[in-house]
Amino acid sequence: MAGKISNTPATYTPSPTSQDKKRPSIFTGSDWVRPDGRGLHQCRPAFLRTSAVNSASGSAYAEFGNAKVIVSVFGPRESKKAMMYSDIGRLNCNVSYTSFATPIRGQASDSKDLSSMLHKALEGAIILESFPKTTVDVFALVLESGGSDLPVVISCASLALADAGIMLYDMVASVSMSCLGKNLVIDPVSEEESYQDGGLMITCMPSRNEVTQMTVTGEWSTPKIHEAMQLCLDACSKLGKIMRSCLKETVSATQE
Amino acid sequence: MATTNGSNDLSSEMEVDAFRRLFPLRFHERHLLESIRPDGRPLGRARDTTISLGAVASANGSALAKIGCTTMLAAVKLEVMTPKAESPDEGCIAIDFHMPPICSPLVRPGRPAEAAPVITKQLTDTILSSGMIDLKELSLVSGKAAWMAYLDIYCLDADGALFDAALLSAVAAFSHLQIPVVSLNDDGRIVLISEENSGAMWEKEPVNKEKRKLKLESVPFSLTCLLHKNYILADPSDEEESIMETFLTVVLDSSFQLVSLNKPGGPGLAHTSAIQDCVGINKTESERTSEDIG
Repeated sequence: MAGKISNTPATYTPSPTSQDKKRPSIFTGSDWVRPDGRGLHQCRPAFLRTSAVNSASGSAYAEFGNAKVIVSVFGPRESKKAMMYSDIGRLNCNVSYTSFATPIRGQASDSKDLSSMLHKALEGAIILESFPKTTVDVFALVLESGGSDLPVVISCASLALADAGIMLYDMVASVSMSCLGKNLVIDPVSEEESYQDGGLMITCMPSRNEVTQMTVTGEWSTPKIHEAMQLCLDACSKLGKIMRSCLKETVSATQE
Repeated sequence: MATTNGSNDLSSEMEVDAFRRLFPLRFHERHLLESIRPDGRPLGRARDTTISLGAVASANGSALAKIGCTTMLAAVKLEVMTPKAESPDEGCIAIDFHMPPICSPLVRPGRPAEAAPVITKQLTDTILSSGMIDLKELSLVSGKAAWMAYLDIYCLDADGALFDAALLSAVAAFSHLQIPVVSLNDDGRIVLISEENSGAMWEKEPVNKEKRKLKLESVPFSLTCLLHKNYILADPSDEEESIMETFLTVVLDSSFQLVSLNKPGGPGLAHTSAIQDCVGINKTESERTSEDIG
């Protein structure tokens, strides 16, 4: 890509006239309204749909507010030639962003990092013994970034795996949380994420009540972490229910 | 002849799916004899087309186009550039077609699909030569600033006729494009004017109060046809494309003038009559599609 830029003229995105880049004071106050008018502990409305991509073994589309993600699952199929023999199946994950996903073109966050996080979040939920010697590919494309992209990708990928008929111990639901001053906000949008003091993300299997991945970044006090974890786990179990009903809908629609 | 008969006998015994996989060409030729295709379409019929505008909020213009299962997401983002010295009143359009690994089992991450750069080139040639967009409309301040329109098209689901769907989504994204109001600040940079105080006093006179939408003249419409023996199959699916390998892509503009004709090799030769037939099918299908979209 770098070579390509050289033969096109340098361009820039026009910035707004009022260049107020300071953190607004409202973010620290207690009586503050979130950019999209949600309650502090209210998640964005989720829209989920399976079988979005016809040519994949399984796929899902997820839309949480402005965050739009599509995940395709291919396989189980032959592993790469260079791979060693393996008694259990392999999981291969890749996350990428479209060039228009972010407000400024081509400024997407590092997708290598996200790919490995996605891999680690899903690994524990998949019964890898059920497809020895082969590989399942999970490819995600973030069509539009809207904050909490990774949790959306993880939940969507789990739905796509279920749609592909890959054996799972349980669905995987993921929710993140931001700590802004005294406030805890669930399912933060990009703006909130950029001002956060600390972030927490939990990926869990709701019906087994097991956590497959948890990351904590930034500044947190112990009671805050406990509160945030509980809120995230509750939200995960709710999201898990929505994901289940989405799968049931698809099945009943195909049976009719 | 013996082998043909052999497989014909087999076809009455075998399950349809197995026959389709083992003898794909014969499976399709049996259908063609009956003038029908495996998905129930007549030979010269394109798949149903849908377009939805404004699929991506972070872009200035976007559209999702579906032809059958083939899905394309196109988005235009505007950035500011200094126009070239030889054309101070013209903006620029940069087109890129992507095939991310989600779209097809054949594309793997890190190994870009071979088809993608070919389609990028074809799209660039078609859009720029069709005269659909007057580059002068992208000018902001003569010699100082002009819009650079980045058009990125992502294939979300590849099921044949990729170029047709990509062009359709590109045209739709340009038709949805809303150009933001901007002004030139004291440093010579272009800045946005927020929509809220648009009624109030302008800090700076906006440079493009009028040009908020692009005028699209002579919209191109593309239809790919598959030539196999004497048959012409319009708008092939992925399966058909993989079995029969001679394509002919015709692009006509809204007044049915020929914009481009592309036959990228293939084992079959196209007779003049076949080319004329393809142009004819393009005319009827473009009318049907524009009725579909409304």
